[in-house]
Amino acid sequence: MKNKYTTQLLVLLFIVMGFTVNAQGLLDKLNDEFPDAPVYKIATFKTTRIGLGHSIETRKKGALEISLYNRYWNIPNFEGQRFLADVVSTRYGLDYAFTDNITIGLGYTNHDKITDGFLKYKLFKQRKNSKKGFATVALLQTISHRKIENTNGNIYQQTTSASDRYAFTSQILIARKINTDISLQISPTFIHREENSLTNDPNNQFAVAFGGRHKISNHAAIVSEYFYVANPLKTIETYNVFMVGVNWEMGDLLLQFQMTNARNFAEDTFITQTRNNFNAKDGNFHFGFNATWVLQTKKKKLK
Amino acid sequence: MNKLLPLFLLIFSFADLDNEQNQFIARQGQITFFSYTSVENIEAKNNQALSILDIEKEEIAISMLMSAFVFKKDLMYEHFNESYIESDIYPKANFEGKIIEFDANTTEQQTKIIRGQLTIHGITKELDIKASIENKNGKYAVSGAFEVFVKDFDIKIPPILASNIAKTISIQFLFQYQPYEK
Repeated sequence: MKNKYTTQLLVLLFIVMGFTVNAQGLLDKLNDEFPDAPVYKIATFKTTRIGLGHSIETRKKGALEISLYNRYWNIPNFEGQRFLADVVSTRYGLDYAFTDNITIGLGYTNHDKITDGFLKYKLFKQRKNSKKGFATVALLQTISHRKIENTNGNIYQQTTSASDRYAFTSQILIARKINTDISLQISPTFIHREENSLTNDPNNQFAVAFGGRHKISNHAAIVSEYFYVANPLKTIETYNVFMVGVNWEMGDLLLQFQMTNARNFAEDTFITQTRNNFNAKDGNFHFGFNATWVLQTKKKKLK
Repeated sequence: MNKLLPLFLLIFSFADLDNEQNQFIARQGQITFFSYTSVENIEAKNNQALSILDIEKEEIAISMLMSAFVFKKDLMYEHFNESYIESDIYPKANFEGKIIEFDANTTEQQTKIIRGQLTIHGITKELDIKASIENKNGKYAVSGAFEVFVKDFDIKIPPILASNIAKTISIQFLFQYQPYEK
């Protein structure tokens, strides 16, 4: 009796199986033919900067980025009359991608007269539909240089000497594209500054940068960043930096609009030496406008 | 009998129900698309398109990964996948169709209409494609060209970039088939 049921069950199973094999269309057959090559997530962020700080993105080999970053703010109780904003600071930047994973960049800011350079290396890439490759990791090393003028001396003989001051920022950028719209980034940061014998400010500072984007259309995204400093400077009162803004991609041209309390562009400066809090008061409110133009110097040949 | 039956069924279920000799596969099909405007020319190529040709049922199926398209400019690749085709959500483009009045016996080149459904960006359209089919010693080659409208597939182009992307995209294809084996 039991055997009979088993047989009937098997016959039924056979019919069902035969049916599904027949119903399998050509497209389903093709589905099984796709090779198991790893697919990497692209465009976790569309820009190489989330806003103020770097994102994990690097451009592909041969891409040259020409960038103008502008920051506008007012001087409190300013007597003069200037159009829109009292102060405009601009960073002129040039980034070049030597390989798909290595980018070197240079910049000069006219307001604080800081020259900065960086090297970014993409270490890991997040993968699609795979347990491996949970996040994209990039390493960033920057160097910044500013000249400090010391007016030295007495009433009879004034001597001005200039000294070079260097600072270094190292960041591990870790980002994950959670879904099509949302990407998050966390970056432990280490800042080293040359010794300053006059103050007892720390020469080494630790910070953590948090960043995120939320796409509002295929071309625009809302972005935000926050920088937490673990051991702030002692001699001056500083605030952690916050930014909220919109990134807008228009083909080769990338535009970023932001509201922030950061005034400087070099990482070591704005992360640790921002002297105003984030609010709408005159002098505290900073409007940022970044324009980046991507130029492809090498074109691929289609085989 | 009862003991033998499962064995018998097992053998049967492994035997192929489709006649595999009628099916041919192309694993390195070439799809190229062009967008010509006065501002910018865009050209991309996919060398890994898959296709199956069934000469008995006179059917053809094509499937490809959108992320396998290669562009001359890398930034175009990112924009194509991220901003237009949305390959995160719609990773593949598919075509399934019937070759009308297909002659399986001739060895001469024949030009036939393939009528079927093209699915891009999650949207399916009925389409007639003129293709030339050639039988070279039991190996088939199918090639041709056709045009599609960008707006048919709900691909949104912001007005500011409308002049960079053509309204009709021309597509060329070439598939070389081998007898299908698992």
